[in-house]
Amino acid sequence: MNRRQFLGTAASGVLAAPALLRGAAAQEGPFRVKYYPVTAGMGSRDTTPAPDGTIWFCGQRNGTLGRLDPRDGSSRLVDLGKGAAPHGVIIGPDGAPWVTEGGQNAIARVDPGDHKVTLFRLPETEAYANLNTAVFDKSGIYWFTGQSGIYGRLDPKSGDMTVFKSPRGRGTYGMTITPKGDIWYASLAGNHIARIDPATGNATVVEPPTPNQGARRVWSDSKGRIWVSEWNSGNVSMHDPADGSWKAWKLPGSNPRTYAVYVDDKDKVWVTDFGANAILRFDPVTEKFNAFPSDKSGANVRQLDGRPGETWGGESGNDRLVMIQTVAPA
Amino acid sequence: MRSFAVLLLIPILLPPPAMAEDGAQAFTPCRACHSLDPAERNLPGPNLSGVVGRPIGGDAAFDYSPVLRKARDEGLRWDSKRLEAFLADPAAMFPGLWMSMRGIEDAAERQALVRFLEDPSSR
Repeated sequence: MNRRQFLGTAASGVLAAPALLRGAAAQEGPFRVKYYPVTAGMGSRDTTPAPDGTIWFCGQRNGTLGRLDPRDGSSRLVDLGKGAAPHGVIIGPDGAPWVTEGGQNAIARVDPGDHKVTLFRLPETEAYANLNTAVFDKSGIYWFTGQSGIYGRLDPKSGDMTVFKSPRGRGTYGMTITPKGDIWYASLAGNHIARIDPATGNATVVEPPTPNQGARRVWSDSKGRIWVSEWNSGNVSMHDPADGSWKAWKLPGSNPRTYAVYVDDKDKVWVTDFGANAILRFDPVTEKFNAFPSDKSGANVRQLDGRPGETWGGESGNDRLVMIQTVAPA
Repeated sequence: MRSFAVLLLIPILLPPPAMAEDGAQAFTPCRACHSLDPAERNLPGPNLSGVVGRPIGGDAAFDYSPVLRKARDEGLRWDSKRLEAFLADPAAMFPGLWMSMRGIEDAAERQALVRFLEDPSSR
């Protein structure tokens, strides 16, 4: 049985009242940026919206999964266990958050009702996998990456897990699924992206045209094109598997460092730039960027996700969540 | 004479020092981004060959976080004590650090890792 605990509900609720609402300068649309402070020292990083309107987020530094209610800014933390260091969180077909829990080298499911934690541990032969990111495929199989150089599949119903060695070793990082159901991952240390055949588990490497680009994360748009955040090059790039083509755009600024990438429901591309301490929105039609710099230094937004009208991220360096509203509320 | 005998027993009674393999094991997750081979470059993290004793932010080929560049500009260096404190909670020592990891809570594990990084003969 795994330990679970609710932490600091009342205290964080008081502190989590939205601290700032401001317009980003020179924008095309009615964008609004809103910050939500969470528990200090937790290292709030990857986020995902839940079906009930709350936002789940990982506390990598204190081993918790957080749940923010944006309506009142309150949040509560679920203790994932001793030594936990959660990296990524996604919502499963069951409506529950599923976590790549690197500290315990396990996949963690948190029940959205009672917050019970269930762990699916990796085999002992795959210790120190550095679990990173995950997606669910169309048949309900959970696919995940480990930065030490693995990827794997977990059947949530049976608990069966298979781990595969990444074809070029360490670096296996972000992961995405296309509307057709193809699964892709990025290799940060390996400087490539790869497509996984869900039937065999085999991965096929695809080389971006920019050498040593540091492909960190990937996200599919509605057409199945793979958008890539390139950490080393400071590019956001796009690979179209239909014709094998690539395009790349350098982020504005003197020393861009592209960390996260997310494509919203309008096929607008969102990235984070550590060099500029900003979230950027890229319009593939006009090929123009909008910048949303943080109002605090060292924000370090490591992942983005969203729902129609809202883009979400975790300021891991400031222990805040950030939401950019892209549609005026009704 | 009796006290001498007790002294001889101390190494037996005390728990053994962390073995080299403990340090190697503690370094395993770090290998996703770091190398100890001076010739291996272009990884997501700086090369850690000779890290103990060199300036913070001392891999000239690596683009460090602003907070580490500032530490370098202030003349700070990595020694074993500072490195062990850093490994306990990296973001507490250097807020805004680009590297993301939970600190190592176990002091013996941290010490083993520092020894592993400090002493090439332990690898």
